Amino acid sequence: MVNRQPIDAYAHDIDEEKQSSVSGGSAASTDKRYSALFSDYEDPNALRRLASRIKDHTLHHLDDYLEQAESSLKRNGCHVHFADTDDDARDAVLSILREREITRLTKSKSMASEEIHLNDHLIKNDIEVLESDLGEFIIQLDGDVPSHIVRPIIHKNRREIARTFQREGIADDYNDDPEAITRRARVHLREKYMEAEAVITGGNFISAESGRVVLVTNEGNSRFGMAPSRVHIALVGIEKLVPTDRDLAVFLNLLGRSATGQQLTVYTEFISGPKDDSQPSGPEEMHVVLMNNGRTDVLASNCREILRCIRCSACQNVCPVYRQASGHAYRSPYGGPVGAVLSPILFGDRFPELADLPKASSLCGACNEVCPVDIPLPDLLLRLRDKAKREHIPQPGDLPMAPFATLATSPAIWRTAMTMSKAMNHLPIEMAPVRPLQDWLGQRTLPEWRGGDFRKWLKKRQSD
Amino acid sequence: MPATTQRPAGKKVLLMATCLCDAFYDDVARATVEVLQHLGVEVGFPENQTCCGQPAFNSGDWKSSRKVARHTAEVFAGDLPVIVPSGSCAAMHFHGNRLQFEECPDGAVESLANRTWELIDFIVNGLGIREWPGRFEKPTRLAFHRSCHLRGTGSGEAITSLLSTIANAEVVPFGQAEQCCGFGGTFSVTFPHISGRMGSLKLDHILEQHPDLLVSGDMSCLMHLTGLAQVQGRPVPHKHAVQVLRDTLQA
Amino acid sequence: MSRDSILSKIRSALADVETKAEHPGFEDAAVVSRVRLGDGSPIAAFTRNFEAVHGRVMRHADPLVALLKEQGRTFGYCDPELMNPLGHALTAAGCTVETRYDRTRYDDYEFGITRATAAIAETGSLVLDDARTSDRLAALSPWIHVAVLREEEVHATLPEAIAGLGNSRNIIWVTGPSKTADVEGILIEGVHGPGEQIAFFLD
Repeated sequence: MVNRQPIDAYAHDIDEEKQSSVSGGSAASTDKRYSALFSDYEDPNALRRLASRIKDHTLHHLDDYLEQAESSLKRNGCHVHFADTDDDARDAVLSILREREITRLTKSKSMASEEIHLNDHLIKNDIEVLESDLGEFIIQLDGDVPSHIVRPIIHKNRREIARTFQREGIADDYNDDPEAITRRARVHLREKYMEAEAVITGGNFISAESGRVVLVTNEGNSRFGMAPSRVHIALVGIEKLVPTDRDLAVFLNLLGRSATGQQLTVYTEFISGPKDDSQPSGPEEMHVVLMNNGRTDVLASNCREILRCIRCSACQNVCPVYRQASGHAYRSPYGGPVGAVLSPILFGDRFPELADLPKASSLCGACNEVCPVDIPLPDLLLRLRDKAKREHIPQPGDLPMAPFATLATSPAIWRTAMTMSKAMNHLPIEMAPVRPLQDWLGQRTLPEWRGGDFRKWLKKRQSD
Repeated sequence: MPATTQRPAGKKVLLMATCLCDAFYDDVARATVEVLQHLGVEVGFPENQTCCGQPAFNSGDWKSSRKVARHTAEVFAGDLPVIVPSGSCAAMHFHGNRLQFEECPDGAVESLANRTWELIDFIVNGLGIREWPGRFEKPTRLAFHRSCHLRGTGSGEAITSLLSTIANAEVVPFGQAEQCCGFGGTFSVTFPHISGRMGSLKLDHILEQHPDLLVSGDMSCLMHLTGLAQVQGRPVPHKHAVQVLRDTLQA
Repeated sequence: MSRDSILSKIRSALADVETKAEHPGFEDAAVVSRVRLGDGSPIAAFTRNFEAVHGRVMRHADPLVALLKEQGRTFGYCDPELMNPLGHALTAAGCTVETRYDRTRYDDYEFGITRATAAIAETGSLVLDDARTSDRLAALSPWIHVAVLREEEVHATLPEAIAGLGNSRNIIWVTGPSKTADVEGILIEGVHGPGEQIAFFLD
């Protein structure tokens, strides 16, 4: 269809099973979030506002906190690497591995690594990388990309997964029982953990004060990946800092509840450097790669609030557009409202190509309502729409608004148009290209045009 | 969405009827005048009013929408409360305008933001009307669609609680009430598939409760929903909340 | 190079921020869930919250033996320091208990008994730290993990647990068995880590 926005086109063509997996899964997560927060707290919104203020404070002092984090991490015995660009980040990881002649590693889920396509880069350089989060493992087997921040395979059903396992030799036979799928992955992956020489993780938070890197998982995969490995590399975006350990109480309470309705994610790990000598299992070396990759551009923009994001996916889950279109429609690792704001500015050189994302919203505001750090997502979407317009990036189906503005600021003409437009004939049709309006009317009836009737009635009432 | 702080109330107001009522829903604007007058409120109607400018604002054409907003602010200049029978247009005044004028503050626009009320919010929280002496002839199930622009404002609670005090009225809950109906103004034009699906889902949830009447504080949502329902062969009786207030009084 | 470049980009990005946000500060009470804490003792709250995430609370060897036998998981590891209230009792009941975790047999251990440093009542979590955990793998690879602690080691709230984190290089809070809902949102326990998580209180 002409004039159709890419995300609408994607939603139109999406496989029905996939769409229903996505919408069912995200609606269930939305319900769990609501009951967890509202049964545990009298006023969860106060907690969200507190979290947002701590994040704003941190972002406004990010230079100081980054330096503080660096020295705390070093004090803990970590090697600290700064990576300004995606290239820098990939190089940093690769050279750590090369210097130690490491060729086999496992990786726990990390959005930062998705951003820079780290796996592809390492594999291209003859390093065996195995994703260990169950969902990411399946994504890797399928050569797919995750469609959700927390539940990467929300778009897949058990039958597809069972077929993948059979095809890839993870199992000899077809079994689509979720428990059997999980057991098979357990057996396969623990063998790989034990063989791996290094583990790559993300990081949910870093406390600048203590240099603790905080990692949360439900499956225990990062823990298992770390226990037998010599080297731990944590790839972390520079916006993940919090000032103090104490602040973590606010974010940990919100993260699990917002993501999956859990009071805490099962495994919440506080890592301050390589293992102690007395501990037999765990990395002897820890590297923290602090990655920028566009974050300072976001910080410089009028959408800097998006850097408060703690990647809980609550906005994705509640978003009616995401539910119809799935994460893949957003063409970046971040789907849903957070992706619609973040991607076009984080990947700034792709802005023209991604400028349609902020349009993919009815601006309903549900995302802001569920956001644990109270990001005003609809406002940011609107600012990006303004930016696209100012930069003259054309959008499919855009209605020319200048004629509308002229009409709406010419009251006499407006009144005439109202009364003269009975039956819609003279409705500022130049407002809309004909085709979208026809599409609109194909789905809906319009009420009868009664332009000017109220004004007439009111005049009469006032004169009576 | 932050509601405005101390807004003026009082028995003399200006009505912004909205372009939708101007074009299609004259009876909603009439009901607004009738109900406010019934409550002893003097209602002024500036003739030069047009639209709040939201279509251009949401499209990202802020140059155009600021032009419309300035016009509206001029038309409604003064210190009287401005009453809008639409949560969406009201929010444009006190939220959208603030966003688009962030970098070029405008005193008249800010003044309008500080004086704007969504209609039922004004009746309940501005005038202090907590009970409505209306009556349905027989038990009536009302499905109240809380439009998205009422999020974070006092209007949703105001409408639900006021409707609930009408004799024989029952406000029935329905599934996924926090979800948008899919209208979103120009969104419904540029995202026809998603908008239509969202509307159909909303209708599914509402109709599952077999309401006698679908009620909202925003005619734009109702136009979209009932227009879809009509084409889908499942028409649903509907009214703006203020029509319910007026009609139950007459009954 | 990246370091200076990032810092200077941050500084120029923030140049237009006229009033930098202050840290809001907060009282512990602002982040504590009173509902989860309840009116009873921290132990009661811990038990309730831990059981809600399918953890099991035990105080005697007998129910543990019964569970191991019922599940047919009778070969395991025990921190040597815990042999004396717990390991010997299991041996006496016919279980095979090793006190050295042999990494090459990671998949053979059916249970692992290690020391927990603390617990958190409010969230139903166990606190394991490197200084007290005899082997991280022993607390992770077996299907059943028994974390041993004393009642007086239970923190009431999450902020208290943070204040008490200490200096260990690695601390992990464990809130129930390892789990996933990746496949169609269906909860499955025992993904990579234990499928049974037990909190064992010493007298």
